[in-house]
Amino acid sequence: MVVMEKEEITHPASPLELQKPPEPELRQPVMINVDDVDFCYGTNQVLFDVNLEIPPRAVTALIGPSGCGKTTLLRCFNRMNDLIDGARISAGSIRLEGHNIYAPDIDVVDLRRRVGMVFQKSNPFPKSIYENVAYGLRVLGVNKKSQINEAVEKGLRASALWDEVKDRLDSSAYGLSGGQQQRLCIARALAVEPEVILMDEPCSALDPIATAKVEELIYQLRENFTIVIVTHNMQQAGRCSNYTAFFYLGRLIEFGATSKIFSNPSERQTEDYITGRFG
Amino acid sequence: MAMLGESKHTLGTFEHALENLRNNVMMMASQTERSLNRALKGLMDRDDKLAALAIADDEEIDQLEKQIDKDGIELLLRFQPVASDLRRVVSAMKLSTNLERMADQATNIARKARKLNKHPALPEILLLSPMQEHAMAMFRDSVDAYVREDAQAARAIIPQDDALDKMNAQVSRQLIDRMARDPEQLRGYINLMFVARHLERVGDHATNIAEDAVYAVAAEDIRHQQVAAPA
Repeated sequence: MVVMEKEEITHPASPLELQKPPEPELRQPVMINVDDVDFCYGTNQVLFDVNLEIPPRAVTALIGPSGCGKTTLLRCFNRMNDLIDGARISAGSIRLEGHNIYAPDIDVVDLRRRVGMVFQKSNPFPKSIYENVAYGLRVLGVNKKSQINEAVEKGLRASALWDEVKDRLDSSAYGLSGGQQQRLCIARALAVEPEVILMDEPCSALDPIATAKVEELIYQLRENFTIVIVTHNMQQAGRCSNYTAFFYLGRLIEFGATSKIFSNPSERQTEDYITGRFG
Repeated sequence: MAMLGESKHTLGTFEHALENLRNNVMMMASQTERSLNRALKGLMDRDDKLAALAIADDEEIDQLEKQIDKDGIELLLRFQPVASDLRRVVSAMKLSTNLERMADQATNIARKARKLNKHPALPEILLLSPMQEHAMAMFRDSVDAYVREDAQAARAIIPQDDALDKMNAQVSRQLIDRMARDPEQLRGYINLMFVARHLERVGDHATNIAEDAVYAVAAEDIRHQQVAAPA
């Protein structure tokens, strides 16, 4: 049984405010419930009996060595694994705000609107900056120009890109730097007003400055969105996330407040991994 | 579960740097103990040479403190340690600060010894013996708990500081009483009171070291906790 640890309250003015949990006295509400999940690629089982409660409006980092199943779990949250032959949840369930996202009546397109995703490598469409952000709305059938304009500006502002691109919205997205392209992908995800944003190593291809900008963005976005991030960068997990889940060989070893996991983890395996004693 | 059971760090350079930091702390502790012993022996045996050696020790200990801080900062910068590694680095740096201040107390005691040695011996110096033994025992036990990473032993040191504080208060009262009776020796009694005060400070630093040892091992901050008074 994995128990979520309550986090220590820090001074409000401290930069560590990031680590402050919402309403520590109250029982944590849950955005995503992962209940007893097993996952297989064909006959190869990669997740074993995973139980996890992702809190809303907070950043949860999934960490662990390569092949531990963290990306597989992340991709379960918006059913991206449906696109892979033979990949399936073989036991257990995943609920978004209490509703089973693998139920037959679930509209997967709507699910992916509610649960957006940002990938390891930025993948803008070969279109203008404007059209990249507007794309999701057009897919949803929104045609009203004013509504799209508003959503594009809102998305670009939320991804801290507006000031850098507002004068060249019609330019190709390919003209942006790698860091800007990644933030554009975040803006594209934000434009359709999702509730959850999944990030799969979003900074692994970025330089330190672009990484810092994306991390700053994640920090700001957590006020309005539930963010789940997969990262191999321990320092990034420590900086960006409120909660951390450590996976090893397809099992969730430990889940708790990031400050607890990185200062005094309960499990020896977590300690050994984050301190670089195996992996 | 199949996982590497041994706790050797993947980065050998980090392991080596951490070991080096720890060795420097142990060396600093050993030199601080020697300095305190020299100062106290110089006081009790009226040996100016020992007192001078204790004063001379301070410079080397100061340099070690700087070295430990430099190495600790470099470790934080290069490896960004977390969990027990982070606590080990932080506690080593805090330990060095406390050891340096203890060495300052040794210097203070040695200076008082040289002043006292210029005048005829005061039998009241024996009032300090129990304090000296208690403070040095606290020092040794706290460093030992840190080195052995023994949180239980470290916790046991904290309440001992109260006893040292009480001894200091009692010695002060006795010396004030002597001052009233024999004003001729006022200067000597005041110096003895200072020595008692320095020993009391040694106990405070030993307590800090014990608290840092608990933090390093158990990730628990036990500083500034009110101890319930006995009923």
